Amino acid sequence: MPHVLIVEDNDLVSGALRVLFEQTGRRVSIASTVADAISVASADRPDLMLIDLTLPDGSGLTILEALRRDHREPRVAVALTGHDEPSITERCTALGCADVLLKPVPTRELLRRADEWLKA
Amino acid sequence: MTRVEAKTESLLNSTAGASADERVGMLEIQLRSALEEVADLRARDQLKTQFLANISHDLRTPLTAVITHAEILRDGLLGPLSDRQMESINGIISGGRQLLAQVGEILTYARGAADQLTIVPVTFAIADVLRQVSSLNESLLARKHLDFEIDVEPTTPPIVADREKVTHVIGNLFGNAIDFTPAGGRVWLRAAARRQSDLSELLVEVGDTGVGIAAEHHDLIFREFAQVDATPSRPHHGTGLGLTIARKLVELHGGKIWVESALGTGSRFYFTIPYPRQ
Repeated sequence: MPHVLIVEDNDLVSGALRVLFEQTGRRVSIASTVADAISVASADRPDLMLIDLTLPDGSGLTILEALRRDHREPRVAVALTGHDEPSITERCTALGCADVLLKPVPTRELLRRADEWLKA
Repeated sequence: MTRVEAKTESLLNSTAGASADERVGMLEIQLRSALEEVADLRARDQLKTQFLANISHDLRTPLTAVITHAEILRDGLLGPLSDRQMESINGIISGGRQLLAQVGEILTYARGAADQLTIVPVTFAIADVLRQVSSLNESLLARKHLDFEIDVEPTTPPIVADREKVTHVIGNLFGNAIDFTPAGGRVWLRAAARRQSDLSELLVEVGDTGVGIAAEHHDLIFREFAQVDATPSRPHHGTGLGLTIARKLVELHGGKIWVESALGTGSRFYFTIPYPRQ
């Protein structure tokens, strides 16, 4: 069963994504801070990591930087952001994100893309 | 009496009978005080803009949860729904997305006011954008039985502009055209290249046979929070920022936006996007 790590500091949003991915046959972990996410992803490498960029202890992208240093990157990383700014997209792509999506992503669209990412 | 008029009057009263040197001195004091007031108002305006940007961003998060949960239910991931339940869930999703669009509009306005909007130029055919906007509005056009046409001059070359922002402008103008045109009317999207004396530009027209806008309101509608409501149509429930944002986005491209209309004769909104001469 693919492991999806949702990095999101808002319980309402992570709760909704947990229901979505669990109901479609994925194992879900949730981390709400940069430190949590590094710890969870290091212990149990995610097949897909969805990262909110604004976290209480820093930018979500620092998670990818830290995991890359330790050679523990997730199989696929995707940024979910509230800002559609080109500079953010460029930075995410440079750090290896497969996609940068503006929240809220319609659920059908998110599931369709998740199928593609997990197949890749 | 405005604040400036009141200050001017008080200044004139206070300097009556004073020598020329005394009047100059008093004027200098007044000028310094006015400059301080302007700086204070600018700082407050920036705070307001930042507040708008922050609050709009914060509103998106709970809305994301509401919409995602509702879509999970709609897609039957938690079991089948009755027709009535489906209708209700679709109402939640539509309401949520409408609110999200309005919050997005406030955020774009705040960024525009703070000069934080940037252009990401790509090459694209304007006809594709017109088709995209019309297909997004297909169900609304059908519901109001509006005649609709797209007309793009075949010689129109691809343009280099921020596609997302141009789409936003056309989407806003077209949404208004549909909103303010009674059932059975006509709306259209047109585009053509034209040559001015020293540059080439794309000219886009969004027209309708709707209620029209009185000449005295042609400038007002592009200002913040303005809505002209003296029309026989139903009120437009927007943020009142749509055309202000459209103007900002067009001006970011170096273009112009304007309207030609009179009450009862429909409206034709135009905007231009300049591009280097080929």
